[in-house]
Amino acid sequence: MKKPRLGFFKYSCCAGCEFQTFYFQKHLMETLSSFEIVFARMISSGGTPEGPFDIALVEGAITEAWQADELKKIRKRSAVLFAIGACAVNGGIPAIKANRPEIEVEENVYGDLSAIHSIRPHPVDAYVPVDGHIRGCPPGERDLYEALTSALFRKKPDFLRQSVCIECKLKGNVCVLVTFRMPCMGPVTNAGCGALCPSYNRACYSCFGAMKQANAPALARRFRTLGMSGDDIARKFTMFDADSIEFRKAAELYED
Amino acid sequence: MSGSGMTGGPVFQLSEYLISKKSFLQWTDSLMEGFTIIGPAWDGRQTVFREVGSSAELTLNYVTTMLAPGKLHIYRPKEKLFRFSLSGRQEIGELPAFNGKQIIVGVHPCDTNAILYLDRTFLGEFKDPFYEARRNNTIIISLNCTDVAPDCFCRSMGTGPFLNADSGFDMLLTDFGDDFLVEVKTERVNRLFNVSGARRAGNEEFALKAAKEKSALLKFTKTIDIAGLDSLLRDNPEHPVWGQTSDERCLSCSNCVMVCPTCFCYDVVDEISMDMKTAVRHRQLDACQDRKFAEVHGGNFRARRAARLRQFVTHKLDHTRQYGVFGTVGCGRCITWCPTGIDLTEIAKEIQRTKR
Amino acid sequence: MNALKPSKAAIKNITHETGDVRTYEFYVGDALSADPAPGQFNMIGCPGVGEAPVSFSGLLKDGSIRHTIKAVGMVTDFIGRMETGDEVFLRGPYGRGWPLEQARGMDLLLGAGGVGLAPLRPVIEKIVRERDAFGRVLLLYGARDERRLLFLKEYEAWQDFLSLHITVDELAAGAASKYSTGLITTLLDRTELNAERTVAFICGPEIMMRLFCRGLLLKGANASRLYVLLERRMRCGIAQCGHCQHGGLFVCRDGPVFSYNEVSGFADGLL
Ligand SMILES: Cc1cc2nc3c(=O)[nH]c(=O)nc-3n(C[C@H](O)[C@H](O)[C@H](O)COP(=O)(O)OP(=O)(O)OC[C@H]3O[C@@H](n4cnc5c(N)ncnc54)[C@H](O)[C@@H]3O)c2cc1C
Ligand code: SF4
Ligand code: SF4
Ligand code: SF4
Ligand code: SF4
Ligand code: FES
Repeated sequence: MKKPRLGFFKYSCCAGCEFQTFYFQKHLMETLSSFEIVFARMISSGGTPEGPFDIALVEGAITEAWQADELKKIRKRSAVLFAIGACAVNGGIPAIKANRPEIEVEENVYGDLSAIHSIRPHPVDAYVPVDGHIRGCPPGERDLYEALTSALFRKKPDFLRQSVCIECKLKGNVCVLVTFRMPCMGPVTNAGCGALCPSYNRACYSCFGAMKQANAPALARRFRTLGMSGDDIARKFTMFDADSIEFRKAAELYED
Repeated sequence: MSGSGMTGGPVFQLSEYLISKKSFLQWTDSLMEGFTIIGPAWDGRQTVFREVGSSAELTLNYVTTMLAPGKLHIYRPKEKLFRFSLSGRQEIGELPAFNGKQIIVGVHPCDTNAILYLDRTFLGEFKDPFYEARRNNTIIISLNCTDVAPDCFCRSMGTGPFLNADSGFDMLLTDFGDDFLVEVKTERVNRLFNVSGARRAGNEEFALKAAKEKSALLKFTKTIDIAGLDSLLRDNPEHPVWGQTSDERCLSCSNCVMVCPTCFCYDVVDEISMDMKTAVRHRQLDACQDRKFAEVHGGNFRARRAARLRQFVTHKLDHTRQYGVFGTVGCGRCITWCPTGIDLTEIAKEIQRTKR
Repeated sequence: MNALKPSKAAIKNITHETGDVRTYEFYVGDALSADPAPGQFNMIGCPGVGEAPVSFSGLLKDGSIRHTIKAVGMVTDFIGRMETGDEVFLRGPYGRGWPLEQARGMDLLLGAGGVGLAPLRPVIEKIVRERDAFGRVLLLYGARDERRLLFLKEYEAWQDFLSLHITVDELAAGAASKYSTGLITTLLDRTELNAERTVAFICGPEIMMRLFCRGLLLKGANASRLYVLLERRMRCGIAQCGHCQHGGLFVCRDGPVFSYNEVSGFADGLL
């Protein structure tokens, strides 16, 4: 069988997803040997982004116009395309600025704006249709594995769509929200991490982004009863997935 | 309630003894050679039902656990069903069912009844071989409750605090201070129970047991009136309490389902090895609070959060036509572990108060 | 014996019905636990992909059965790319099928919407074999447009045994159709039937079944003689996984065929 041709593309992000995929994840060796890596900036020089690709992985948020243009070309050259990582899936850290006027943010950060052409940050699927989301920061092992094996097996991937709490309970963790009154984002966050933070007695901070149709305002109100300030609550819902409808509704309750 | 009958045998009530707790624990230690002993034990953060290496680890005075013993050690949260080989001609391989022997000690009445409930799902018309093997090879030593947690409402459901099921478990303990009242229920545990220092219990002990039950019954703060409940919830599917509770509080996080000792729902998931040589099919717990649970092509029969919450509550407090019993055993776990404290008994009461 | 254990079945033949619907003939040998009755279903799957419930669209014949499958997701897409000779893993038959016994000596009305004709096709095969057992037999079939009609080549043969009426929701622009246009309920309104002696088997989208049943009730039909086939998400087919639960019933075991009065008015349903 011919090895599927894989391309890995990077926009505004830390490149951690690419490192995760090619240097750190559990199934690294199989990944490297099962795919023909045609383009990936962090592991090979001289690869070509021209395609065609059997599978394209795109990391990073779209924050400049040229990125959107290139992304559309890559979509055309790729049989399947997955958004990978919090930035590409939800806007992630680059989208922290999503709720402020672009010019204000630019002025805030750069003295000289002449070379700056940023646009409002959006996830990849705001510009092109994607075949699925590999969530997380860094991306979760389970869904990454599912994406890669699905591409090899030529089937549709079955990504997790449930809450982090389900994974947390499967692990038998004591709930940090109920027991220790920590502001855990697990109930409204899409699964995939295996409830990593709660497993270490920490509150989930939603690096996997909003579970679809999550009732974020209800959790925000619950956080209020824990004594959190409105600002702190708003920050909880704008850290990794500020651009989502679900989290916007919660942040809006407490933003001034 | 008639259990599976498998563990019951023809004789269900055999003999009763009074035995010091110390001797009882020594007896469990003596069983470690032939059995895996599972019981309530501290894991550093909470009491969980887990395998213990010595009876000293057992915390039989626990009040409740987050996860129920039956759903951890008889029906498992995740189970491998088949292994397929994919290279060349595809073949299916069966995986061996449980072939050990285990004893679960200290199972509260609610959790014992929950196992009897799971029997209806997995030992019904279609028997699940994995469940059946574990069920048959698990001795259940139940323990009556003399302490009651704030969310317990087994009294209202008739499933506790003292156990009165007529089959499906092997031994019943009642805390008598320094001693246990031991009721041996099945022949297989009778054969194992040869303990020096055990003396036959008689009327006096049973009078004391009755008194203890009476005082336990007085400790309940949570109750629910189950009369007429079955059709009441079904007849009020659009009662405002569903919409209000789900809009204001329910997170669709499924904690309620995951901790429920009777929630049996599972998903079937295949996993392919990256070398494309094998695939494993397993099942794992699934939850009706999850958005995709009732989704079909082109629609979702419970797209609304209110409909999902209603599915959970009606499956616990209505729908007795399914198995002839209520789906809740009153353990209160879904209330305790709900991040926003949603309480099914309060929902039912609200409907009872303001029914149409 | 593990009831969840599927057996291999090879694809003997594939018929392209419409864009994303194909009919497969599977050689099952003795893989099935019983002779499938019309209205029952199999769980069909592929290792590494998963399983999906699919109704029989043909009776068992020479060790072969038929399924008509629309490619809509993981499993069905995967099967949609298979070729003759490829193998699937299946198990069944499951569930309670159409109550043909009740229809004996009565008029039988079949109402189908879209791919909902597939589970009724074995009923038609039975009718063809035993035409005298039934009174008048009517098939009302509605589809979105002409290109979505299933089993086109068989209509002519069927018409010797039943009276077939087809309607399409819309006509392709400028096309002249040999079928009537409009919703199937309009077709029902125009159909004369002896409601008191009619047993109806209905399969299609739930909203279509609802309107169809209501139309029949208005004509004086008896709710206990109207049967619908419910579609729910299914993972096991054997009343264990809980996905198909509907008002305390397991659709996989207690159904998928129910009489209208068994399931009408349920929360979470449209009937
Ligand atoms: C009793 C019964 C008989 C059926 N008969 C036929 C038939 O004869 N021909 C046919 O083409 N289809 C039939 N279906 C529908 C078919 O089972 C689904 O389309 C199929 O399960 C989708 O599986 P998938 O893995 O391809 O899709 P998935 O990738 O699982 O999902 C695709 C979409 O379908 C939904 N879905 C998942 N599981 C089911 C399910 N069990 N039922 C419905 N939708 C689901 C998903 O939520 C998603 O929206 C029947 C369903 C039932 C319950
Ligand atoms: S700790 Fe967080 S993720 Fe875990 S169950 Fe509690 S709320 Fe959910
Ligand atoms: S645990 Fe509570 S918030 Fe979560 S789904 Fe259940 S009822 Fe809703
Ligand atoms: S309450 Fe929901 S998850 Fe629990 S058994 Fe019922 S349907 Fe299944
Ligand atoms: S619900 Fe009843 S049986 Fe269960 S722990 Fe509480 S008191 Fe014991
Ligand atoms: S399909 Fe699993 S219970 Fe009906």
